[in-house]
Amino acid sequence: MVSRVLGWIDQRFPLTPFIKHELTDYPTPRNLSYWWNFGFLAGFVLVLQIATGIFLAMYYKPDVNLAFDSVQHIMRDVNYGWLLRYIHSSGASAFFVVIYVHMARTLYYASYHKPRELMWWTGQGLMLLIMATAFMGYLLPWGQMSYWGAQVITNLFGVTPFFGDKIVLWLRGDFSVGDATLTRFFALHYLFPFLICGAVVIHLVALHTVKSSNPSGISLADKDNIPFHPYFTIKDFFGLGIYLIIFCAFVFFRPGAFIEAANNIPANPLVTPPHIEPEWYFLPFYAILRAIPDMLGGVVAMALSVLIFAILPFADRTGIPGGAHFRPAYRIMFYLFVVDVLILGYVGSQPPLGFVVPLGQVATFVYFGTFFLLPFISKWEERWMRARGLPPELLALFEQRPPREKLPREEVAK
Amino acid sequence: MSDGNVLDNADRRDFLGKATAAVGAAGVAAACWPFISSMNPSTDTLEKATTEVDISGIAPGQAQTVSWGGKPVFVVHRTAAQIDAMKNSQGGHDPQADAERAKNPEWLVVVGVCTHMGCIPSKNDDGWLCPCHGSVYDNSGRILHGPAPKNLAVPPVKFVSAEKIVIGEV
Amino acid sequence: MKRWLVFMSCYLAFNAWGEAELPLNKIEVATDLPTLERGAETVMTVCVGCHSLKYIRFRELSKLGIAADKVDGWRGSNPMGTPVASQMPAEAAMASFGKAPPDLSLMAKAREGEADYIYSYLLGYYTTPEGTTGNHYYPATKMPDILAVAGVTDSTQHAQLEQKAREVASFLSWAADPHAQERKALGYYVLGYLVVFTTMLYFLKQKIWSKLDRA
Repeated sequence: MVSRVLGWIDQRFPLTPFIKHELTDYPTPRNLSYWWNFGFLAGFVLVLQIATGIFLAMYYKPDVNLAFDSVQHIMRDVNYGWLLRYIHSSGASAFFVVIYVHMARTLYYASYHKPRELMWWTGQGLMLLIMATAFMGYLLPWGQMSYWGAQVITNLFGVTPFFGDKIVLWLRGDFSVGDATLTRFFALHYLFPFLICGAVVIHLVALHTVKSSNPSGISLADKDNIPFHPYFTIKDFFGLGIYLIIFCAFVFFRPGAFIEAANNIPANPLVTPPHIEPEWYFLPFYAILRAIPDMLGGVVAMALSVLIFAILPFADRTGIPGGAHFRPAYRIMFYLFVVDVLILGYVGSQPPLGFVVPLGQVATFVYFGTFFLLPFISKWEERWMRARGLPPELLALFEQRPPREKLPREEVAK
Repeated sequence: MSDGNVLDNADRRDFLGKATAAVGAAGVAAACWPFISSMNPSTDTLEKATTEVDISGIAPGQAQTVSWGGKPVFVVHRTAAQIDAMKNSQGGHDPQADAERAKNPEWLVVVGVCTHMGCIPSKNDDGWLCPCHGSVYDNSGRILHGPAPKNLAVPPVKFVSAEKIVIGEV
Repeated sequence: MKRWLVFMSCYLAFNAWGEAELPLNKIEVATDLPTLERGAETVMTVCVGCHSLKYIRFRELSKLGIAADKVDGWRGSNPMGTPVASQMPAEAAMASFGKAPPDLSLMAKAREGEADYIYSYLLGYYTTPEGTTGNHYYPATKMPDILAVAGVTDSTQHAQLEQKAREVASFLSWAADPHAQERKALGYYVLGYLVVFTTMLYFLKQKIWSKLDRA
């Protein structure tokens, strides 16, 4: 019966061929590790955020006089409203955990190299959309931190030369964050996730063109691919199970972990909380913003710190594939970078006093230094590795294609 | 090639696969419930299911309109003459005994929404006249003539005390 | 050596800046009805003199399980659906204290330390050398020493006040999060289900992957 219905559809719409080609029979490297689960997890979190968000929007009121009360109404009176709210607020943090791990996997294995540059850039576009969505969503509860966080960040656009003040006015729709700001942030917060869905489709089309990279760092022969179903469908579901255990532990037992105490106080434009800080996932960028004493410099540095990832396919000039798997200097740079980002996160969470200030400046220097040094270190590293002799897996690979450049020693020996 | 009493590997995995799918499906169904339930009226909205009315201020011959679940409800303190007249008639084209509609004959409580197109009828001495299309109701809220098909609806009413009634039930 | 000293003094200065000058006294928040009822009694008869609880309606107090006659006593002629309002009008509060007493519905979540903070704050009053009262945990407070803690030296009396403060903190914790019990109960079921389901998924994954290179 089902096959007859499917057959009818297939004559008019490529349903089963599409599912077979892109999902069931889709060739996937057999050696993918659990670090490759995080793309699927990101998709799952996106769907859950949209679902909870839509049902929350059935009760939320985007008006400065009603917003805070409407959230309390959801928490106290709406059936399972507390659950929807906690899933949504915890889900925002979970989204960033998943995304950051997903990015770290790509950085570690240097999967941003040819032919996957577009995957990297569409992924970056996705990250920008998610950051904007999270920022706008945070204003909606209209708590003290919501209001003052939005006030501080919208203020930053004022550094734009000539038009700064006009831009801030335009962004807010008011002289300071107010009702106009809240309503438009709600409208856009509802819209952006659907733009994210579109961007995800583009990201996946790119993926299916170039296929997944893998932990060995080198392209595998066709015989080393296995069909996505059932091997990776079950592996993704198992990974999802582990993720849900951790996620639900937070939602049901520590839901307040991601809600700042100050956000339980309705927004008061006349009283600033003792310290204003963004949610944890923005802390490293916030630290970079504060590390530069000049406001325009700080804003430029912060924007650059997010956008600079785009240059990686060009900045990393190595001919050695596989990222940190094969390359010792790159591996050290990767771990240093991760530690540096964690330090920046700590700096962002503290008031800018005492030793925190120079620490933040050093960490910012290291952050950008990593990107600027990479072109040189990657080239030096390749030279050094070739001089020592490449590992057998790489030699076998390079037998099929010539090395990127002749080393001076080889020229002299001739 | 299997021993009749012991499942071989293929059957065992199939069972595990089917069992896992079933447990998963049950989980997904259970996970849908909070979303669906959230759309039902919230606890404060449910309070609108009942309305308390203080009837001590309504003199005989007077009526008061209250809101019940968002709808208007007429609370009429009927005079003896009106009660007698209603007892002795069955209404119009939707016949019904007055005693069925007003358990306590002194008080008539009916939903103030015309059963034709939903307008709110206007009170007069003999009952109500709907201004929209001319339906006429008697002092028991029964349709006498006009396009309305049915009598005015009677909500559940509890006489809690001499001064208080509760319309609707939880 | 000099640089180390500079670093250490910066570090210590930074730490002294920190969240609370004093560490909080920790309590175990009570969730049993008798304690919550006593806490409600104190809050409704003492605190509501100045503070409101705008997100708690009388109906919720009766749903919690507090006896109907108690609830009726507190609400007077107000219907059950009325929020708990403060008995002091805002203007009078501004005149007496210079600042409106904050609403208490979310107080147990709105301060770092949550219930521990409320408990410590209520017991944190002391008498200054000049004879006025101050509070260790919130020196700028305009609120008077409502439990009359400052100057209590008798240990039994102090223990009674600690008990009272704990009841209030527990009730306010409930008020800030009325669904907490339901949430945790559901959480045990959900996590239990997920552990079972994930284990099944694990074994199914092993079975499927063992098929590889064997067929």
